[in-house]
Amino acid sequence: MLMPHPLRRGAAIVGSGESDEIGFIEGKSSLELHAEAVSNAVEDAGVRWEEIDGIFATGGSGRFPAAALAEYLGIRPRYMDSTQMGGSSFLFFVHHALAAIAGGEIEVAVISHGECGFSGPRRGGRGTGGAHQFDPWDPGELYERLYGAWGAPAFYAHAMNRYMHRFGATREDFARIAVVTREWATLNPRAVMHSKQTHPYGGPIDVETVLGSRMIAWPLSLLDCCLVTDHGAAVVLTTPERARSLRHRPVWIEGAGEALSHMNMSQMEDFTATSARDSAARAYSMAGMGPGEMEMAMIYDSFTYTAAVTAEMLGLTPRGEGASLWAGDDARPGGRFPVNTNGGGLSFSHSGMYGMMLLVEAQRQLARSAVGLPGRQVEARSAVVNGTGGSLSTTATLVLTAD
Amino acid sequence: MSPPEEPAYTRPIPDPDTITAGPFWQGASEGRLMLPRCLQCSRAHFYPRTICPHCHSRELEWFEASGEGTVHTFAVQQRGLGGWNDETPFATAFIDLREGVRMMTVLRGVDASDPASIEIGAPVRVEFERAAEGVFVAFWRVVGPGPAGGGQGEATGC
Ligand SMILES: [Zn+2]
Repeated sequence: MLMPHPLRRGAAIVGSGESDEIGFIEGKSSLELHAEAVSNAVEDAGVRWEEIDGIFATGGSGRFPAAALAEYLGIRPRYMDSTQMGGSSFLFFVHHALAAIAGGEIEVAVISHGECGFSGPRRGGRGTGGAHQFDPWDPGELYERLYGAWGAPAFYAHAMNRYMHRFGATREDFARIAVVTREWATLNPRAVMHSKQTHPYGGPIDVETVLGSRMIAWPLSLLDCCLVTDHGAAVVLTTPERARSLRHRPVWIEGAGEALSHMNMSQMEDFTATSARDSAARAYSMAGMGPGEMEMAMIYDSFTYTAAVTAEMLGLTPRGEGASLWAGDDARPGGRFPVNTNGGGLSFSHSGMYGMMLLVEAQRQLARSAVGLPGRQVEARSAVVNGTGGSLSTTATLVLTAD
Repeated sequence: MSPPEEPAYTRPIPDPDTITAGPFWQGASEGRLMLPRCLQCSRAHFYPRTICPHCHSRELEWFEASGEGTVHTFAVQQRGLGGWNDETPFATAFIDLREGVRMMTVLRGVDASDPASIEIGAPVRVEFERAAEGVFVAFWRVVGPGPAGGGQGEATGC
Protein backbone atom coordinates (compact mmCIF):
# COMPACT_ATOMS: atom_id res chain seq x y z
CA MET A 1 0.00 0.00 0.00
CA LEU A 2 1.17 3.48 -0.90
CA MET A 3 2.42 5.47 2.09
CA PRO A 4 0.68 8.84 2.51
CA HIS A 5 2.89 11.89 2.02
CA PRO A 6 4.33 12.97 5.39
CA LEU A 7 3.04 16.54 4.96
CA ARG A 8 -0.49 15.59 3.94
CA ARG A 9 -3.00 17.08 6.44
CA GLY A 10 -0.02 18.19 8.52
CA ALA A 11 -1.66 21.56 9.16
CA ALA A 12 -4.99 23.31 8.74
CA ILE A 13 -6.17 26.80 7.93
CA VAL A 14 -8.28 27.90 10.87
CA GLY A 15 -9.21 31.50 10.19
CA SER A 16 -8.87 34.44 7.85
CA GLY A 17 -9.34 38.17 7.71
CA GLU A 18 -9.14 41.18 5.46
CA SER A 19 -8.29 44.79 6.05
CA ASP A 20 -11.28 46.73 7.42
CA GLU A 21 -11.84 48.24 3.99
CA ILE A 22 -10.76 46.96 0.60
CA GLY A 23 -10.79 48.63 -2.79
CA PHE A 24 -9.64 52.21 -3.18
CA ILE A 25 -8.35 53.36 0.21
CA GLU A 26 -6.54 56.67 0.27
CA GLY A 27 -4.36 57.29 3.27
CA LYS A 28 -3.48 53.83 4.52
CA SER A 29 -0.04 52.27 4.22
CA SER A 30 0.53 48.67 3.23
CA LEU A 31 1.62 47.96 6.81
CA GLU A 32 -1.69 49.30 8.12
CA LEU A 33 -3.53 47.01 5.70
CA HIS A 34 -1.39 44.07 6.88
CA ALA A 35 -2.05 44.88 10.53
CA GLU A 36 -5.81 45.18 10.13
CA ALA A 37 -5.90 41.88 8.25
CA VAL A 38 -3.80 40.02 10.82
CA SER A 39 -5.84 41.43 13.69
CA ASN A 40 -9.08 40.34 12.01
CA ALA A 41 -7.68 36.90 11.11
CA VAL A 42 -6.39 36.24 14.64
CA GLU A 43 -9.80 37.12 16.02
CA ASP A 44 -11.57 35.00 13.39
CA ALA A 45 -9.37 32.00 14.19
CA GLY A 46 -9.66 32.43 17.93
CA VAL A 47 -5.94 32.01 18.60
CA ARG A 48 -3.96 34.09 21.10
CA TRP A 49 -1.33 36.56 19.88
CA GLU A 50 1.34 34.93 22.05
CA GLU A 51 0.77 31.63 20.25
CA ILE A 52 1.96 33.03 16.92
CA ASP A 53 5.43 31.63 16.39
CA GLY A 54 5.70 31.84 12.59
CA ILE A 55 5.18 34.82 10.31
CA PHE A 56 5.07 34.71 6.54
CA ALA A 57 4.55 38.05 4.82
CA THR A 58 5.13 40.01 1.68
CA GLY A 59 3.62 43.01 -0.07
CA GLY A 60 4.98 46.55 -0.02
CA SER A 61 6.27 46.64 3.53
CA GLY A 62 9.87 47.57 2.94
CA ARG A 63 12.81 45.41 2.12
CA PHE A 64 12.16 42.80 4.81
CA PRO A 65 8.38 42.40 4.84
CA ALA A 66 8.12 39.71 7.53
CA ALA A 67 10.47 41.63 9.84
CA ALA A 68 8.67 44.91 9.22
CA LEU A 69 5.31 43.33 9.98
CA ALA A 70 6.47 41.46 13.09
CA GLU A 71 7.93 44.68 14.47
CA TYR A 72 4.79 46.66 13.63
CA LEU A 73 2.57 44.08 15.32
CA GLY A 74 4.89 43.77 18.31
CA ILE A 75 5.53 40.05 17.97
CA ARG A 76 8.83 38.15 17.94
CA PRO A 77 8.21 34.92 16.02
CA ARG A 78 10.77 32.11 15.81
CA TYR A 79 10.15 31.35 12.15
CA MET A 80 10.14 34.07 9.46
CA ASP A 81 9.68 34.06 5.70
CA SER A 82 9.50 36.98 3.22
CA THR A 83 9.48 34.89 0.04
CA GLN A 84 8.69 37.00 -3.02
CA MET A 85 7.37 35.05 -6.00
CA GLY A 86 4.84 37.61 -7.19
CA GLY A 87 1.12 37.12 -6.72
CA SER A 88 1.51 33.43 -6.01
CA SER A 89 3.75 34.09 -2.98
CA PHE A 90 1.00 33.46 -0.44
CA LEU A 91 0.38 29.95 -1.73
CA PHE A 92 4.11 29.29 -1.58
CA PHE A 93 3.88 30.43 2.04
CA VAL A 94 1.25 27.78 2.75
CA HIS A 95 3.61 25.11 1.45
CA HIS A 96 6.43 26.51 3.61
CA ALA A 97 4.24 26.91 6.70
CA LEU A 98 2.87 23.39 6.24
CA ALA A 99 6.40 22.00 6.32
CA ALA A 100 7.32 24.10 9.35
CA ILE A 101 4.20 23.07 11.30
CA ALA A 102 4.30 19.40 10.30
CA GLY A 103 8.03 19.37 11.08
CA GLY A 104 7.35 20.57 14.60
CA GLU A 105 9.17 23.89 14.24
CA ILE A 106 6.10 26.03 14.92
CA GLU A 107 2.49 25.65 16.01
CA VAL A 108 0.70 28.77 14.81
CA ALA A 109 1.59 30.51 11.57
CA VAL A 110 0.23 33.78 10.26
CA ILE A 111 0.46 34.47 6.50
CA SER A 112 -0.15 38.10 5.64
CA HIS A 113 -0.49 40.43 2.69
CA GLY A 114 -0.92 44.20 2.49
CA GLU A 115 -0.52 46.21 -0.69
CA CYS A 116 -1.51 49.67 -1.89
CA GLY A 117 -1.80 48.63 -5.51
CA PHE A 118 -4.11 51.54 -6.33
CA SER A 119 -3.04 54.28 -3.94
CA GLY A 120 0.67 53.55 -3.78
CA PRO A 121 1.63 54.70 -7.29
CA ARG A 122 -0.58 57.80 -6.91
CA ARG A 123 1.34 58.73 -3.79
CA GLY A 124 4.57 58.36 -5.73
CA GLY A 125 5.65 55.20 -3.96
CA ARG A 126 6.23 53.18 -7.06
CA GLY A 127 6.71 54.83 -10.43
CA THR A 128 6.84 53.61 -13.98
CA GLY A 129 5.94 56.04 -16.75
CA GLY A 130 8.90 58.38 -16.48
CA ALA A 131 11.74 55.88 -16.39
CA HIS A 132 14.26 56.59 -19.15
CA GLN A 133 17.41 54.99 -17.82
CA PHE A 134 17.34 51.25 -17.45
CA ASP A 135 19.04 49.18 -14.78
CA PRO A 136 21.85 47.41 -16.62
CA TRP A 137 21.90 44.63 -14.06
CA ASP A 138 18.29 43.58 -14.56
CA PRO A 139 17.83 41.48 -17.72
CA GLY A 140 14.08 42.02 -17.63
CA GLU A 141 14.56 45.76 -17.86
CA LEU A 142 17.44 45.79 -20.28
CA TYR A 143 16.09 43.28 -22.81
CA GLU A 144 12.30 43.42 -22.40
CA ARG A 145 10.86 46.53 -20.76
CA LEU A 146 13.30 48.48 -22.94
CA TYR A 147 10.68 47.96 -25.65
CA GLY A 148 8.01 49.90 -23.78
CA ALA A 149 5.95 47.04 -22.38
CA TRP A 150 4.24 48.58 -19.38
CA GLY A 151 2.79 46.43 -16.64
CA ALA A 152 1.47 42.91 -16.59
CA PRO A 153 -1.13 43.19 -19.40
CA ALA A 154 1.59 44.22 -21.85
CA PHE A 155 3.26 40.84 -21.37
CA TYR A 156 0.28 38.52 -20.81
CA ALA A 157 -1.30 39.70 -24.08
CA HIS A 158 1.51 37.95 -26.00
CA ALA A 159 0.67 34.62 -24.38
CA MET A 160 -3.05 35.01 -25.01
CA ASN A 161 -2.43 35.78 -28.69
CA ARG A 162 -0.19 32.75 -29.09
CA TYR A 163 -2.82 30.58 -27.41
CA MET A 164 -5.58 31.93 -29.68
CA HIS A 165 -3.37 31.26 -32.69
CA ARG A 166 -2.54 27.73 -31.62
CA PHE A 167 -5.94 26.54 -30.42
CA GLY A 168 -8.35 28.77 -32.32
CA ALA A 169 -9.81 30.25 -29.13
CA THR A 170 -11.53 33.62 -29.56
CA ARG A 171 -11.79 36.80 -27.50
CA GLU A 172 -15.45 35.83 -26.93
CA ASP A 173 -14.38 32.60 -25.23
CA PHE A 174 -12.27 34.55 -22.75
CA ALA A 175 -14.86 37.32 -22.29
CA ARG A 176 -17.29 34.74 -20.93
CA ILE A 177 -14.91 34.17 -18.00
CA ALA A 178 -15.21 37.83 -17.02
CA VAL A 179 -19.01 37.64 -17.28
CA VAL A 180 -19.33 34.56 -15.04
CA THR A 181 -16.83 35.93 -12.53
CA ARG A 182 -18.82 39.18 -12.33
CA GLU A 183 -21.93 37.12 -11.52
CA TRP A 184 -20.17 35.86 -8.40
CA ALA A 185 -19.23 39.43 -7.49
CA THR A 186 -22.90 40.41 -7.51
CA LEU A 187 -23.40 37.95 -4.60
CA ASN A 188 -20.49 39.38 -2.59
CA PRO A 189 -21.16 42.82 -1.07
CA ARG A 190 -17.41 43.22 -0.39
CA ALA A 191 -16.60 42.90 -4.09
CA VAL A 192 -15.50 46.16 -5.69
CA MET A 193 -17.70 45.43 -8.73
CA HIS A 194 -20.64 44.09 -6.70
CA SER A 195 -23.17 46.65 -7.93
CA LYS A 196 -23.68 50.21 -9.15
CA GLN A 197 -23.59 51.17 -5.45
CA THR A 198 -20.05 49.87 -5.01
CA HIS A 199 -18.67 51.07 -8.36
CA PRO A 200 -20.08 53.11 -11.27
CA TYR A 201 -19.37 50.19 -13.60
CA GLY A 202 -20.31 47.46 -11.09
CA GLY A 203 -23.10 44.91 -11.44
CA PRO A 204 -23.77 42.33 -14.15
CA ILE A 205 -22.02 42.52 -17.53
CA ASP A 206 -22.33 40.62 -20.80
CA VAL A 207 -19.85 39.40 -23.40
CA GLU A 208 -20.44 42.43 -25.61
CA THR A 209 -19.53 44.74 -22.73
CA VAL A 210 -16.23 42.93 -22.28
CA LEU A 211 -15.41 42.92 -26.00
CA GLY A 212 -16.33 46.59 -26.30
CA SER A 213 -14.33 47.77 -23.33
CA ARG A 214 -11.24 49.88 -23.92
CA MET A 215 -8.31 47.98 -25.40
CA ILE A 216 -5.33 47.81 -23.01
CA ALA A 217 -2.94 45.50 -24.86
CA TRP A 218 -4.56 43.66 -27.75
CA PRO A 219 -6.03 41.06 -27.38
CA LEU A 220 -6.64 42.05 -23.73
CA SER A 221 -9.34 44.65 -23.20
CA LEU A 222 -10.04 46.41 -19.90
CA LEU A 223 -12.59 43.86 -18.68
CA ASP A 224 -10.22 40.96 -19.47
CA CYS A 225 -7.92 42.53 -16.87
CA CYS A 226 -8.04 42.39 -13.09
CA LEU A 227 -8.83 45.35 -10.90
CA VAL A 228 -6.07 47.41 -9.31
CA THR A 229 -6.91 47.96 -5.65
CA ASP A 230 -5.65 48.42 -2.10
CA HIS A 231 -6.04 45.28 -0.03
CA GLY A 232 -4.85 43.51 3.07
CA ALA A 233 -5.58 39.88 3.93
CA ALA A 234 -4.27 37.18 6.25
CA VAL A 235 -4.84 33.56 7.24
CA VAL A 236 -3.91 31.54 10.32
CA LEU A 237 -2.56 27.98 10.12
CA THR A 238 -1.94 25.55 12.94
CA THR A 239 -1.44 21.89 13.87
CA PRO A 240 -4.26 19.36 13.40
CA GLU A 241 -4.65 19.02 17.18
CA ARG A 242 -4.93 22.76 17.83
CA ALA A 243 -7.16 23.16 14.76
CA ARG A 244 -9.76 20.78 16.20
CA SER A 245 -10.00 22.89 19.35
CA LEU A 246 -10.80 26.15 17.53
CA ARG A 247 -14.11 27.66 16.46
CA HIS A 248 -13.98 27.06 12.68
CA ARG A 249 -14.25 23.78 10.87
CA PRO A 250 -10.56 23.10 9.99
CA VAL A 251 -9.61 23.47 6.33
CA TRP A 252 -7.10 20.69 5.77
CA ILE A 253 -4.04 21.16 3.61
CA GLU A 254 -4.14 17.88 1.73
CA GLY A 255 -1.55 18.84 -0.82
CA ALA A 256 0.78 21.69 -1.76
CA GLY A 257 3.21 22.15 -4.62
CA GLU A 258 5.26 24.89 -6.21
CA ALA A 259 6.95 25.33 -9.60
CA LEU A 260 8.35 27.89 -12.00
CA SER A 261 9.05 27.97 -15.71
CA HIS A 262 10.90 31.29 -16.07
CA MET A 263 11.16 34.79 -14.67
CA ASN A 264 11.30 36.97 -17.79
CA MET A 265 8.87 36.24 -20.57
CA SER A 266 11.50 35.84 -23.30
CA GLN A 267 12.62 32.76 -21.36
CA MET A 268 9.13 31.19 -21.37
CA GLU A 269 9.34 28.09 -23.51
CA ASP A 270 5.63 27.49 -24.10
CA PHE A 271 3.44 30.60 -24.04
CA THR A 272 0.32 28.40 -23.99
CA ALA A 273 1.13 26.55 -20.76
CA THR A 274 2.24 27.38 -17.23
CA SER A 275 4.17 25.61 -14.50
CA ALA A 276 0.82 25.03 -12.75
CA ARG A 277 0.95 21.69 -14.53
CA ASP A 278 3.91 20.80 -12.28
CA SER A 279 2.76 22.49 -9.08
CA ALA A 280 -0.66 20.85 -9.46
CA ALA A 281 0.88 17.43 -10.08
CA ARG A 282 2.89 17.86 -6.87
CA ALA A 283 -0.15 19.01 -4.88
CA TYR A 284 -2.44 16.25 -6.19
CA SER A 285 0.27 13.69 -5.53
CA MET A 286 0.71 14.81 -1.92
CA ALA A 287 -3.06 14.79 -1.46
CA GLY A 288 -3.53 11.41 -3.09
CA MET A 289 -6.38 13.07 -4.98
CA GLY A 290 -6.96 14.19 -8.55
CA PRO A 291 -8.84 16.95 -10.37
CA GLY A 292 -11.92 14.73 -10.65
CA GLU A 293 -12.27 14.81 -6.86
CA MET A 294 -12.25 18.61 -6.63
CA GLU A 295 -15.62 20.26 -5.96
CA MET A 296 -14.65 23.89 -6.54
CA ALA A 297 -11.68 25.91 -7.74
CA MET A 298 -10.05 29.20 -6.87
CA ILE A 299 -7.95 30.13 -9.90
CA TYR A 300 -5.74 33.21 -10.18
CA ASP A 301 -7.48 35.46 -12.70
CA SER A 302 -5.13 38.36 -13.20
CA PHE A 303 -6.49 38.14 -16.73
CA THR A 304 -9.18 36.02 -18.32
CA TYR A 305 -6.37 34.25 -20.15
CA THR A 306 -4.57 33.38 -16.91
CA ALA A 307 -7.69 31.68 -15.60
CA ALA A 308 -8.29 29.74 -18.82
CA VAL A 309 -4.79 28.37 -19.29
CA THR A 310 -4.56 27.54 -15.58
CA ALA A 311 -7.83 25.56 -15.67
CA GLU A 312 -6.13 23.32 -18.21
CA MET A 313 -2.96 23.01 -16.20
CA LEU A 314 -4.99 21.96 -13.13
CA GLY A 315 -6.55 19.16 -15.18
CA LEU A 316 -10.04 20.69 -15.06
CA THR A 317 -10.47 20.85 -18.85
CA PRO A 318 -8.86 19.23 -21.89
CA ARG A 319 -5.86 20.96 -23.45
CA GLY A 320 -6.74 23.97 -25.55
CA GLU A 321 -10.21 24.24 -23.98
CA GLY A 322 -9.52 26.10 -20.73
CA ALA A 323 -12.26 28.67 -21.28
CA SER A 324 -14.81 25.87 -21.63
CA LEU A 325 -14.85 25.61 -17.84
CA TRP A 326 -16.91 28.83 -17.88
CA ALA A 327 -18.90 28.11 -21.06
CA GLY A 328 -21.92 26.39 -19.50
CA ASP A 329 -23.50 26.79 -16.08
CA ASP A 330 -21.06 24.70 -14.00
CA ALA A 331 -18.76 27.51 -12.87
CA ARG A 332 -21.61 29.98 -12.24
CA PRO A 333 -23.47 30.62 -9.00
CA GLY A 334 -25.63 27.57 -8.39
CA GLY A 335 -23.49 25.48 -10.73
CA ARG A 336 -21.96 22.07 -10.14
CA PHE A 337 -18.36 23.32 -10.01
CA PRO A 338 -18.11 26.83 -8.53
CA VAL A 339 -15.06 28.83 -9.64
CA ASN A 340 -13.75 32.07 -8.16
CA THR A 341 -16.68 32.51 -5.83
CA ASN A 342 -15.51 35.83 -4.34
CA GLY A 343 -15.78 37.55 -7.73
CA GLY A 344 -12.13 36.95 -8.62
CA GLY A 345 -9.31 39.33 -9.28
CA LEU A 346 -11.46 40.45 -12.18
CA SER A 347 -14.36 41.78 -10.07
CA PHE A 348 -13.68 41.34 -6.33
CA SER A 349 -10.29 42.93 -5.64
CA HIS A 350 -6.72 42.63 -6.91
CA SER A 351 -3.96 44.71 -5.41
CA GLY A 352 -1.21 43.45 -7.70
CA MET A 353 -0.54 40.26 -5.80
CA TYR A 354 -3.84 38.41 -5.62
CA GLY A 355 -2.88 35.03 -4.17
CA MET A 356 -3.94 35.76 -0.59
CA MET A 357 -7.47 36.57 -1.69
CA LEU A 358 -7.78 33.10 -3.26
CA LEU A 359 -6.70 31.59 0.02
CA VAL A 360 -9.07 33.62 2.18
CA GLU A 361 -12.01 32.74 -0.06
CA ALA A 362 -11.18 29.03 -0.17
CA GLN A 363 -10.96 28.95 3.63
CA ARG A 364 -14.30 30.74 4.00
CA GLN A 365 -16.09 28.52 1.52
CA LEU A 366 -14.81 25.26 3.01
CA ALA A 367 -15.33 26.45 6.60
CA ARG A 368 -18.86 27.58 5.62
CA SER A 369 -18.23 31.14 6.79
CA ALA A 370 -18.76 32.97 3.48
CA VAL A 371 -21.00 35.98 4.02
CA GLY A 372 -23.14 37.59 1.34
CA LEU A 373 -26.25 37.18 -0.76
CA PRO A 374 -28.02 33.81 -1.05
CA GLY A 375 -26.01 31.46 -3.24
CA ARG A 376 -22.63 32.89 -2.30
CA GLN A 377 -21.87 30.09 0.19
CA VAL A 378 -21.29 26.90 -1.81
CA GLU A 379 -21.52 23.27 -0.68
CA ALA A 380 -18.05 22.11 -1.82
CA ARG A 381 -15.91 20.09 0.57
CA SER A 382 -12.76 20.14 -1.54
CA ALA A 383 -11.02 22.87 -3.50
CA VAL A 384 -8.05 23.25 -5.78
CA VAL A 385 -6.40 26.65 -5.41
CA ASN A 386 -3.69 27.95 -7.74
CA GLY A 387 -1.71 31.16 -7.73
CA THR A 388 0.33 32.54 -10.61
CA GLY A 389 3.07 35.15 -10.20
CA GLY A 390 5.18 37.33 -12.47
CA SER A 391 4.67 36.97 -16.22
CA LEU A 392 3.00 33.54 -15.96
CA SER A 393 6.28 32.70 -14.22
CA THR A 394 5.74 31.09 -10.83
CA THR A 395 2.88 28.92 -9.61
CA ALA A 396 1.81 27.26 -6.39
CA THR A 397 -1.14 24.89 -6.07
CA LEU A 398 -3.03 23.71 -2.99
CA VAL A 399 -5.56 20.95 -2.47
CA LEU A 400 -7.81 21.81 0.48
CA THR A 401 -10.66 19.90 2.09
CA ALA A 402 -13.10 20.17 4.97
CA ASP A 403 -14.57 17.18 6.80
CA MET B 1 18.43 50.19 -41.97
CA SER B 2 19.51 53.78 -41.51
CA PRO B 3 18.94 55.02 -37.97
CA PRO B 4 16.23 57.62 -37.42
CA GLU B 5 17.35 61.23 -37.76
CA GLU B 6 18.29 63.35 -34.79
CA PRO B 7 14.93 63.87 -33.01
CA ALA B 8 15.72 62.91 -29.45
CA TYR B 9 15.27 59.27 -28.52
CA THR B 10 12.70 59.66 -25.75
CA ARG B 11 12.19 55.97 -25.09
CA PRO B 12 14.03 54.18 -22.30
CA ILE B 13 17.75 54.16 -23.01
CA PRO B 14 19.73 51.06 -22.14
CA ASP B 15 22.80 51.44 -19.98
CA PRO B 16 24.62 48.36 -21.21
CA ASP B 17 26.36 45.97 -18.88
CA THR B 18 29.66 45.71 -20.75
CA ILE B 19 31.11 42.94 -18.60
CA THR B 20 28.41 40.38 -19.38
CA ALA B 21 27.14 41.73 -22.66
CA GLY B 22 29.84 43.97 -24.12
CA PRO B 23 30.04 42.22 -27.50
CA PHE B 24 26.25 42.31 -27.88
CA TRP B 25 26.10 46.08 -27.46
CA GLN B 26 29.32 46.67 -29.38
CA GLY B 27 27.93 44.56 -32.23
CA ALA B 28 24.67 46.51 -32.17
CA SER B 29 26.58 49.75 -32.67
CA GLU B 30 28.21 48.17 -35.75
CA GLY B 31 24.93 46.79 -37.15
CA ARG B 32 25.76 43.19 -36.23
CA LEU B 33 23.70 40.88 -33.99
CA MET B 34 26.08 39.09 -31.65
CA LEU B 35 24.94 36.16 -29.49
CA PRO B 36 26.65 34.15 -26.76
CA ARG B 37 27.18 30.43 -27.34
CA CYS B 38 28.41 27.66 -25.05
CA LEU B 39 31.69 25.91 -25.87
CA GLN B 40 30.55 22.80 -24.01
CA CYS B 41 27.06 22.16 -25.40
CA SER B 42 27.24 24.46 -28.46
CA ARG B 43 23.84 26.01 -27.73
CA ALA B 44 23.22 29.75 -27.99
CA HIS B 45 21.35 31.69 -25.33
CA PHE B 46 19.81 35.14 -24.91
CA TYR B 47 19.79 37.34 -22.84
CA PRO B 48 23.56 37.24 -22.33
CA ARG B 49 24.78 35.55 -19.16
CA THR B 50 28.09 34.51 -17.62
CA ILE B 51 26.92 30.89 -17.36
CA CYS B 52 25.23 28.64 -19.92
CA PRO B 53 21.58 28.16 -18.87
CA HIS B 54 21.47 24.81 -20.72
CA CYS B 55 24.48 22.94 -19.27
CA HIS B 56 25.78 25.49 -16.72
CA SER B 57 29.26 25.69 -18.23
CA ARG B 58 31.09 29.01 -17.93
CA GLU B 59 33.04 28.50 -21.15
CA LEU B 60 31.26 30.78 -23.58
CA GLU B 61 32.03 32.51 -26.88
CA TRP B 62 30.38 35.16 -29.05
CA PHE B 63 29.32 34.71 -32.67
CA GLU B 64 27.52 36.78 -35.26
CA ALA B 65 23.93 35.60 -35.70
CA SER B 66 22.04 35.44 -38.99
CA GLY B 67 19.74 38.30 -38.00
CA GLU B 68 16.78 36.25 -39.25
CA GLY B 69 13.79 34.91 -37.38
CA THR B 70 10.02 34.63 -37.23
CA VAL B 71 7.30 36.24 -35.11
CA HIS B 72 6.46 33.84 -32.26
CA THR B 73 3.68 36.04 -30.96
CA PHE B 74 2.82 39.73 -30.63
CA ALA B 75 0.61 42.17 -28.76
CA VAL B 76 -0.51 45.70 -29.53
CA GLN B 77 0.21 48.18 -26.77
CA GLN B 78 -2.15 51.07 -26.11
CA ARG B 79 0.13 52.58 -23.47
CA GLY B 80 3.88 52.46 -23.12
CA LEU B 81 6.76 53.05 -20.79
CA GLY B 82 8.44 56.46 -21.01
CA GLY B 83 8.60 57.88 -24.52
CA TRP B 84 6.93 54.81 -25.94
CA ASN B 85 3.69 56.28 -24.62
CA ASP B 86 3.87 58.82 -27.47
CA GLU B 87 4.03 56.07 -30.09
CA THR B 88 0.89 54.08 -29.27
CA PRO B 89 -0.38 51.89 -30.67
CA PHE B 90 2.81 49.91 -31.20
CA ALA B 91 3.26 46.17 -31.64
CA THR B 92 5.60 44.34 -29.30
CA ALA B 93 6.62 40.80 -30.18
CA PHE B 94 8.72 37.85 -29.21
CA ILE B 95 10.96 36.68 -32.05
CA ASP B 96 12.17 33.12 -32.60
CA LEU B 97 15.69 33.52 -33.96
CA ARG B 98 17.12 31.02 -36.42
CA GLU B 99 19.73 30.29 -33.76
CA GLY B 100 17.08 28.91 -31.38
CA VAL B 101 16.79 31.79 -28.93
CA ARG B 102 13.95 34.23 -28.35
CA MET B 103 14.15 38.04 -28.16
CA MET B 104 11.58 40.71 -27.41
CA THR B 105 11.19 43.65 -29.78
CA VAL B 106 8.92 46.34 -31.10
CA LEU B 107 7.93 45.13 -34.56
CA ARG B 108 8.91 47.36 -37.46
CA GLY B 109 7.13 47.23 -40.82
CA VAL B 110 3.64 46.51 -39.46
CA ASP B 111 0.39 48.45 -39.01
CA ALA B 112 -0.17 48.23 -35.26
CA SER B 113 -3.60 49.85 -35.56
CA ASP B 114 -4.77 46.67 -37.33
CA PRO B 115 -3.74 43.60 -35.27
CA ALA B 116 -5.42 41.26 -37.76
CA SER B 117 -2.90 42.37 -40.39
CA ILE B 118 0.06 41.14 -38.32
CA GLU B 119 0.95 37.49 -38.72
CA ILE B 120 2.40 35.05 -36.23
CA GLY B 121 5.10 33.13 -38.10
CA ALA B 122 5.98 36.04 -40.39
CA PRO B 123 9.70 36.28 -41.27
CA VAL B 124 11.62 39.14 -39.67
CA ARG B 125 15.10 40.63 -39.98
CA VAL B 126 17.05 42.55 -37.36
CA GLU B 127 17.96 46.23 -37.60
CA PHE B 128 19.40 48.72 -35.15
CA GLU B 129 18.25 52.15 -34.02
CA ARG B 130 20.44 54.72 -32.34
CA ALA B 131 19.31 55.48 -28.77
CA ALA B 132 22.24 57.58 -27.53
CA GLU B 133 25.90 58.22 -28.32
CA GLY B 134 27.34 54.78 -29.11
CA VAL B 135 24.20 52.96 -27.95
CA PHE B 136 22.05 51.13 -30.49
CA VAL B 137 18.95 49.03 -29.84
CA ALA B 138 17.98 45.94 -31.86
CA PHE B 139 14.58 45.95 -33.57
CA TRP B 140 13.00 43.33 -35.83
CA ARG B 141 11.25 44.19 -39.11
CA VAL B 142 8.65 42.03 -40.83
CA VAL B 143 10.06 41.26 -44.28
CA GLY B 144 7.46 38.94 -45.77
CA PRO B 145 4.11 37.21 -45.38
CA GLY B 146 3.47 34.57 -42.73
CA PRO B 147 3.10 30.86 -43.42
CA ALA B 148 0.38 29.83 -45.90
CA GLY B 149 -2.99 29.44 -44.24
CA GLY B 150 -2.53 32.60 -42.26
CA GLY B 151 -2.20 31.16 -38.82
CA GLN B 152 -2.93 27.58 -37.90
CA GLY B 153 -0.39 24.84 -38.07
CA GLU B 154 3.01 26.33 -38.61
CA ALA B 155 5.77 23.91 -37.84
CA THR B 156 7.24 25.50 -34.75
CA GLY B 157 5.12 23.62 -32.19
CA CYS B 158 3.96 25.47 -29.14
ZN1 LIG C 1 26.11 24.80 -22.39
